[in-house]
Amino acid sequence: MANLIDLIISADEDVRNRALDAACAKMTLAELLKEAAELDAFRRQSENLYQRVRALLFLHSIHRFHLPARLVAEKSGVIPFKGYSNLLERRFEEAIDVFLKTQAKDGPSDAISSALASAYQKLAFQTLADQVRRSVRGVRGNQWMFRMGHPADQPLRIRKELTRRDPNTGLFPVLRERTPVRMDLTHCGWSDIFFLGMDYPEGAKVLNISVDLTVHGRDKHPAPPVEASLRVIEQPVLRLTSVDLGCTADISSLNEVFDFAKDYLGLLKAAVIASGIVPPGIEGSGQDLAHLLERVVGPGRGLEIVSNVNNIPKGSRLAVSTNLLAALIGVCMRATGQAGSLDGGLEENERRIVLARALLGEWIGGSGGGWQDSGGVWPGMKLICGTVASEGDPEFGISRGRLMPTHRILDTTDVPEDARRKLQESLVLVHGGMAQNVGPILEMVTEKYLLRSEPEWSARKKTHGILDQILTGLKHGDIASVGTATTANFHGPIQTIIPWAGNLYTETLIEKTRTEFGTDFWGFWMLGGMAGGGMGFMFAPERKADGQRFLQKTMSETKRLLAAALPFAMEPVVYDFAINERGTWAELLTEKDALMPSGYYRFIVPNLLRMDRRALGAARHAELDRFADACRTRPELKGMVSTLFDSIFPDVEEDSGNRETLAATLEKYGFDHATHEKIREDLRAGRIGLAQNRLPANTLIDDVRESDLTDIASGQTLPDNLRKLGLAALANGEVAVVTLAAGAGSRWTQGAGVVKALHPFCKLGGRHRSFVETHLAKSRRIGRLCGTAPAHVFTTSYFSHEPTRRFLEQHDHFGYDGPLVLSEGKSIGLRTVPTVRDLRFAWEEMPQQTLDVQQQKVRESVRTALIQWAQSTGEAADYTDNLPVQCLHPVGHWYEIPNLLRNGTLLGLLKKRPQLKTLVMHNIDTVGMDLDPALLGHHLASDAGLTFEVITRRLEDRGGGLASVNGKIRLVEGLAMPREEDEFNLTYYNSNTCWIDIDSLLSTFQLTRGDLTDATKVAAAVRTLAAAMPTYITLKDVKKRWGHGQEDVFPVCQFEKLWVDMSQLSSIETRYIAVPRLRGQQLKDPSQLDGWLRDGSASYLESLCEWE
Amino acid sequence: MIASTGKTLHFPVVKVSKAIITAAGQKQRTLPLQTLVDRDGVPKSALAILAEEITAAGISEIAVIVCPGDEAAYATAAGPLASGMKFIPQTQPLGYGHAVHCAADFTGDDPFLLMVGDHLYTSRISRSCTAQLLETSQSGKCSVSAVQATHESKLPYYGSVGGRRVPGSERLYEIDTVIEKPTPTEAEQKLVVPGLRAGNYLCFFGMHALAPSVMETLGRQLAAGPADLSSALAETARRERYLAYEIQGRRHDIDLHYGLLTTQLALGLAGKDRDEVLALIVESLVQSQAQA
Repeated sequence: MANLIDLIISADEDVRNRALDAACAKMTLAELLKEAAELDAFRRQSENLYQRVRALLFLHSIHRFHLPARLVAEKSGVIPFKGYSNLLERRFEEAIDVFLKTQAKDGPSDAISSALASAYQKLAFQTLADQVRRSVRGVRGNQWMFRMGHPADQPLRIRKELTRRDPNTGLFPVLRERTPVRMDLTHCGWSDIFFLGMDYPEGAKVLNISVDLTVHGRDKHPAPPVEASLRVIEQPVLRLTSVDLGCTADISSLNEVFDFAKDYLGLLKAAVIASGIVPPGIEGSGQDLAHLLERVVGPGRGLEIVSNVNNIPKGSRLAVSTNLLAALIGVCMRATGQAGSLDGGLEENERRIVLARALLGEWIGGSGGGWQDSGGVWPGMKLICGTVASEGDPEFGISRGRLMPTHRILDTTDVPEDARRKLQESLVLVHGGMAQNVGPILEMVTEKYLLRSEPEWSARKKTHGILDQILTGLKHGDIASVGTATTANFHGPIQTIIPWAGNLYTETLIEKTRTEFGTDFWGFWMLGGMAGGGMGFMFAPERKADGQRFLQKTMSETKRLLAAALPFAMEPVVYDFAINERGTWAELLTEKDALMPSGYYRFIVPNLLRMDRRALGAARHAELDRFADACRTRPELKGMVSTLFDSIFPDVEEDSGNRETLAATLEKYGFDHATHEKIREDLRAGRIGLAQNRLPANTLIDDVRESDLTDIASGQTLPDNLRKLGLAALANGEVAVVTLAAGAGSRWTQGAGVVKALHPFCKLGGRHRSFVETHLAKSRRIGRLCGTAPAHVFTTSYFSHEPTRRFLEQHDHFGYDGPLVLSEGKSIGLRTVPTVRDLRFAWEEMPQQTLDVQQQKVRESVRTALIQWAQSTGEAADYTDNLPVQCLHPVGHWYEIPNLLRNGTLLGLLKKRPQLKTLVMHNIDTVGMDLDPALLGHHLASDAGLTFEVITRRLEDRGGGLASVNGKIRLVEGLAMPREEDEFNLTYYNSNTCWIDIDSLLSTFQLTRGDLTDATKVAAAVRTLAAAMPTYITLKDVKKRWGHGQEDVFPVCQFEKLWVDMSQLSSIETRYIAVPRLRGQQLKDPSQLDGWLRDGSASYLESLCEWE
Repeated sequence: MIASTGKTLHFPVVKVSKAIITAAGQKQRTLPLQTLVDRDGVPKSALAILAEEITAAGISEIAVIVCPGDEAAYATAAGPLASGMKFIPQTQPLGYGHAVHCAADFTGDDPFLLMVGDHLYTSRISRSCTAQLLETSQSGKCSVSAVQATHESKLPYYGSVGGRRVPGSERLYEIDTVIEKPTPTEAEQKLVVPGLRAGNYLCFFGMHALAPSVMETLGRQLAAGPADLSSALAETARRERYLAYEIQGRRHDIDLHYGLLTTQLALGLAGKDRDEVLALIVESLVQSQAQA
């Protein structure tokens, strides 16, 4: 039997590279538990960082994937709340100890394994992140900044050239750094993740190219897309301006410099800190910024720093932000003598220090990219490789590789001039318009690498061969072969390592391009973390212009088709690009040229013109004079006067159109103004709110007993007669499926406002499938099994109805044979600005995951800003400052069943199938549920009005459960739990799948089948029962998009009523059945997908589906 | 005994007998003329105190580089030692390197001691700072610069050296790099010396015992364009053996804010009137406290 520790410490590389999965495959439960105990002991005593991390990820994998399969027959357990709260507060070691103690006491269980899996994984990534941080601080040239805690110790001085004001113009010189962005022609299999480079430097290799860009058709020639400008000012402040984000501030205190999320100036602040002007060591010192600036610039003086991105959208996968940060750091370093030359290029050692500082800046700002991202600082094409740490490196003895890679600039023998030209003549760079969070992907890649999972490990090794093919292709100017290699990379290794790197949008574009261009389409190339954003398409040179036109049109059309299903942040764009052969470059602008970029004046001048001329000061006067002069003489400033005029006197109120659409939508869906006003009033008065959602504090919440439900969770089978009963009902057309598809799935796209039901979430049966198609495929299989296709209803809302209708129509209803109906929602709510009380309750009273130190600081800063936003906008005011769909909300899934009654859907179904007796309602993301005949038979035989399906709880299953509430068995919503810890005593979690007996339901509403034709009676009945249902106040994140792909997330307030509360009614007989996890689990977050694919859930789902 | 490193030795095996004091800086020209009370309680100019230390260390010929027209004032300030001193005007203000090179004819092919006119020194041992330096250069047979471990916040004021400790020696370093007023970023990359505390670097102390080759290098660099002493010393470090000696003493820069006061206090506390000076300080403190 393999000892798993051997896979970590063996001297034999082949043993070390063996996959954990294969080693665990044949182990029994007892053997696995023994191995886990040994691994835990090993990781506690090991002093080697990577041995510890590998052991932790092994433990995570054992508890997440290998033990659960062997624990199905074991008794379900509970997770101790103490361990959970330790986990939230990032006390991972303590959490693990608590969970292990529970495991020893109660025996192993699926529940405790889920908790251990999470704790081990978090500890592993925390350990890695801590090491990267130590390495960033330990880079020579960065260390001193952490020692400096007092202005008197500040050793940096501004270069004299910048302090000499021009006697004629009165202007200080402006130092301007312009930097290209970078593209990675290989897509390196994410080998530029720090953790990979530091453990596997030989495998960390990328071909990184510095490029200038412009949006196709906008400017004549591509130019460096990012620039940073700096000058001395006669005020002791830091004046930071982001032209691209339209934000400026005069910063006069040190605390403000370290407050990253207060405004949109986080990147500039990070640069000021990482360049040492305000060194990180001075944070929290209580010192005076003016004194610090006095040391650097001189008494009474300060610095003005301006960032500008030439309208290149966010999420381009060209590392725009990192290169802008690098440009800002570069300009600050040059200005303070930390680079030899004030203008021109940088020396290699200076570029390396800019890279080290950019890494530092990203960490300070709570973000993080790969180590190749500052590639724009270097000229032209370069091979960036991981480097083995040697004596003298801060990493030596800790990790195999260094934090900082080595850059080798490729010369014309590596890639001849001709090949460079050919590449530019073939490649079309685009931004597909999607902006996605790649954070989870980076963690997945690291984990798979450290586990050496097959086939991911083979795929990783294949990427090296692809890099060689690309280099050979470039050397010989054979761009078609480069295209072949990048395409093979995308379809092969990249998607083997991360199946989620591709998506339906990208595949559609590739397919359409191939159809249109045939052999003239040389290849596809994905930039960076995830497809849908930055992408490259290679064409035969004579077809490049056609390719650009085609892609612009095709991307826009495809986006329109998929806009409701996938999170697009912006309209797709095609770029023109050129290789930048000089890297970052600075100029010292003096005399009459000492002006900031033109965008700066577009943004600043209107404000200055509104000021009293006497308040402007001599320097601003001089600058405005010079700018006015330049507007008359410089061709690039032609048209500036009218631009300024427009921005001073905007002709229409910008969002008036928005308000009209919102009002019309509210009108259309019968918005209830009176109820809304009452809710706002109650919110403001504190009568309702997050705290008021909870049941009274003296409520007794206990776990249920075995006799309170039927349990088939551990593989027990229901009697065959029940299955036969169910099959007979199905064959007779007595059952309909009701899929709840009205919501946006806020967690699925972080509030992007797309229809989750339509999201092509996974490749199943050979291609991407949406939730809608998947549910229909299950109904199709059952229909064929019993001979009658069941009726299938998708409930919709103001927001999802039309897109779902169109989607089904476009796909010809996926060829579904049975009745397929959309039940349109009849209720709508208008979101409100949250109250400060609720924000504080959510952030301070409710348990939540503490973030890593720096990210936590940023989060707190964001929260302070959001509280100010709520106060200044007005607590409980209508939320209207967004697209109408983002301002409205569905009012909870309780309404979706009554809506069947109100909108005639049930009546219609009953007309078609008067024998209809049972509905099975389920969430859109409970993908493993189906019309299981035995479960149906069980429901029918029990004579229950409602049968809820529950599953045994895992750590991630938060939000209530099955409980005895003051002695009555019912489901309790998480929002209603009197105390957080109560939930942790409950064994079962509500899957929200519910079998409903139609007649019992109608009777609960005090209706009969015959009453369904009486709309007034039905409406009154629904209103009466609704009044008896609790109303929950919730906070939801919504995205507001602006600028070029920028997104802000706001927490907004809404109310909802939930179906689980039907279980508290005594007028309807309610039963519960515990079902296997594969059936009842939900997909709430895209980061769950990878585990879902690996743990057998996806295969289980496929076994339930018939796609054609 | 100093271990050999294989680099060429350019220091003639003769005793250093010549010294250069630079005092031509426009802003510093009056500083050496300031009167202070020396360790023996005798009022003297700073120049005279410095010249006495040099002479006491065995050097007989001193050249002072001055602004044109300052010769007479300096001769007066030098007092009785003026007769052994030569006053060389720097005719054009072309920087410190140029000032040093003005004495090229004076030093000829001889090694020389180089000092700045606005610094005075107090030693922590019986031998003066100058004597310590000369003794080291004699036994090392190469150029030696006096250095002091200096906190990185003072880097904007000094030339700084990088290198490694000479095995078996506590205070001697083999110099690899010389950078004039480095930024802390550059210092951390190029000037970290094992054995010093974090954030401390070896910075020039204001006195050097230099081989004649340094003067040649300086001359060559000046002929090619602007050059300072640090660039000539950097080249020296690349071409020949060049040591740094951590002096057991303190430098006092008269040019600093309250520099004259602190220099005077240091001299007073290091000399025969130590008790009297201490009493004066205590008395002043008590009085200022009482007034507050």
